Amino acid sequence: MKLGETLLFLGFAGVGATLLLAFLWVPSVSFNAFESPAAQRIFYWHVPAAWAAFIAFGGLFVGSAGWLFKRSETMWRLHVAASEAGLATGLMTVWSGCVWGAAEWGTPWDWTDVRLNTFGLLTLLAAYLVLGRGSQPDGVESRDTFAAFGMYGFVLVPTTYIATWIWTIRHPPPLIASEDAGSIDLDMRLVLYLGAISFTTFIIGHMLSSMRLTALEQRLAAMQSTQDGGV
Amino acid sequence: MAKALLRLEDVEVRRGMGVVLSGRSLTVLGGQTVVLSGANGSGKTTLLEAAMGLLPLEKGCIHHGDVVVADHEGRRRPSPFVVGVVLQKNGMLGSETVAQHLQCSMAMAGFSTDIAPFLKAFNLTHRANDLVAHLSQGQARKIAVLAGLLPAFASPSPSLVLLDEPDAGLDDASVKTLGDWLEELRSSGHGLVIATHDDRIKQQATHLVDIEHDTVTPLENRENRAPQQHPSKAVPTQSAGSFGVKMHLRTMMWLNTNAMAGLLTLGILLSLGSFMNGLDRTQQLSFVLAPALAAGLCGEPLVAALREERAGEWWRAVSRKEPHGAWIPAVLGFIFTLMASVSLQNQIEPVVLLVGGLLCFVVWHGVGWVQRSTQRLARPQAVFVGLLTPVLILPYALIAGTLA
Repeated sequence: MKLGETLLFLGFAGVGATLLLAFLWVPSVSFNAFESPAAQRIFYWHVPAAWAAFIAFGGLFVGSAGWLFKRSETMWRLHVAASEAGLATGLMTVWSGCVWGAAEWGTPWDWTDVRLNTFGLLTLLAAYLVLGRGSQPDGVESRDTFAAFGMYGFVLVPTTYIATWIWTIRHPPPLIASEDAGSIDLDMRLVLYLGAISFTTFIIGHMLSSMRLTALEQRLAAMQSTQDGGV
Repeated sequence: MAKALLRLEDVEVRRGMGVVLSGRSLTVLGGQTVVLSGANGSGKTTLLEAAMGLLPLEKGCIHHGDVVVADHEGRRRPSPFVVGVVLQKNGMLGSETVAQHLQCSMAMAGFSTDIAPFLKAFNLTHRANDLVAHLSQGQARKIAVLAGLLPAFASPSPSLVLLDEPDAGLDDASVKTLGDWLEELRSSGHGLVIATHDDRIKQQATHLVDIEHDTVTPLENRENRAPQQHPSKAVPTQSAGSFGVKMHLRTMMWLNTNAMAGLLTLGILLSLGSFMNGLDRTQQLSFVLAPALAAGLCGEPLVAALREERAGEWWRAVSRKEPHGAWIPAVLGFIFTLMASVSLQNQIEPVVLLVGGLLCFVVWHGVGWVQRSTQRLARPQAVFVGLLTPVLILPYALIAGTLA
């Protein structure tokens, strides 16, 4: 088994374990602090998924810039893999957030929260890149266009993260890679970190596998072109 | 020695997954006719379109005179010369009239000359006021060719004429007339680059470029013909914005897309009854501005229209700009906000009306920019531009919040 698939499998197992622990082991939060303590368990899926999405969008930026400035095939594969991973984890985050928000705030979406909106937009950007690329023949024209969107869209990542510090109307501030994580109960923190590590492993494995798949697709296209009599 | 009008330096261009041109250099002086020859797919069109500044360069740069008009780092500058362009497609909208398109092609350079003798030579005098859409394929091609040549005829100084298979679809008499005009332009000091398979046009060459073997063969010196007089005059320059407004007003495409979206939004809000009283100020303003936002979110309808016969690329090749709706969205946004204010709030606030106009203007042109950025794709109509438009929710929300 290749490295990508191994990491994907390990990450998948870790994500499953996180879910099990979140539902069966982690202590419940206080009824006084939360409107819907049961729904709070979504947090162990929602936050690591958002963390993984940031990693994917970081990969998207690097891959896009690498294609635009270096014309690197590997970087293009990273762009492809990261946009797919970004779409998957972005949807996981947005969907789980909507369910949690509906239970906790009484509304699945808060239009006044810049962070929610920018994260939603990042996911839409990833959808645009994945669906748009599928609609076009592969070539320098489509690669340049989507890489440019991938690169400039990355501006939304720091915007989202900064928004989590500045605009905190309903949504709590970030927990992973922040000092606030220390204020959480030890058991909760353990599961949260297990989720973060699992999602990170999962997303890196996914990107490596996807890059290998894209390379195989490109090899196949080259072989078909040779059979057609092209170069 | 005549001035170099066009200089390609070590140019590399990729199309699709292949490198079509690599390490190509070419210099065209005033008074030269350079004919590009080679089999289909050898790169004639790619070289011409690179010279027009239409294609991004992987390496090298393109000079028009002393100005770098395009380079491999993506820099673009307008040409210092009058540029006449004929693409493989005709590069014009069906909604233009024949005379209007020809006058427009010259006015983009700021000059004009009498088009009557040219129309007569192509037997098109009786078609001068017809819409381009009503012409036959051959007639439309003649107009496209004239639109490429007339700016040079009108220009008092040497200009650059770039023609991609201008003879395609022309009858024998028209090809002969075209050959005479090419000779006349060359004799007048203009620089011409022509891609063609037609031997009659190749006879006009002072230099023959074999694209496949990358060779340039200078041909025997041709005598300059005494140029005919085509008195020209300076005219106000045709801007992309004013042309776009003209097309919008003629075709009413703003009504078909943007205005309908705004009207439908307003209609839906009105059908909800008197709901505004129970809302706070931010929410009220959000609803009042919603029709203007909806109208803007449809983007620039001209972007799709300009795909017809590659009209948008023709504009970019000649002037580096593409037609757009200019001030139309501001007026539309103002009107919709006025209608929404009266019907939903029963009051008019000048600041809100101005903001409505501005909102529609910014959103319309913002979406238009995104639409244009995908025009280079093989299937621009298949790309999912609509997925990116929700980004405009944020400025909309901020505007409503700030106004409140």
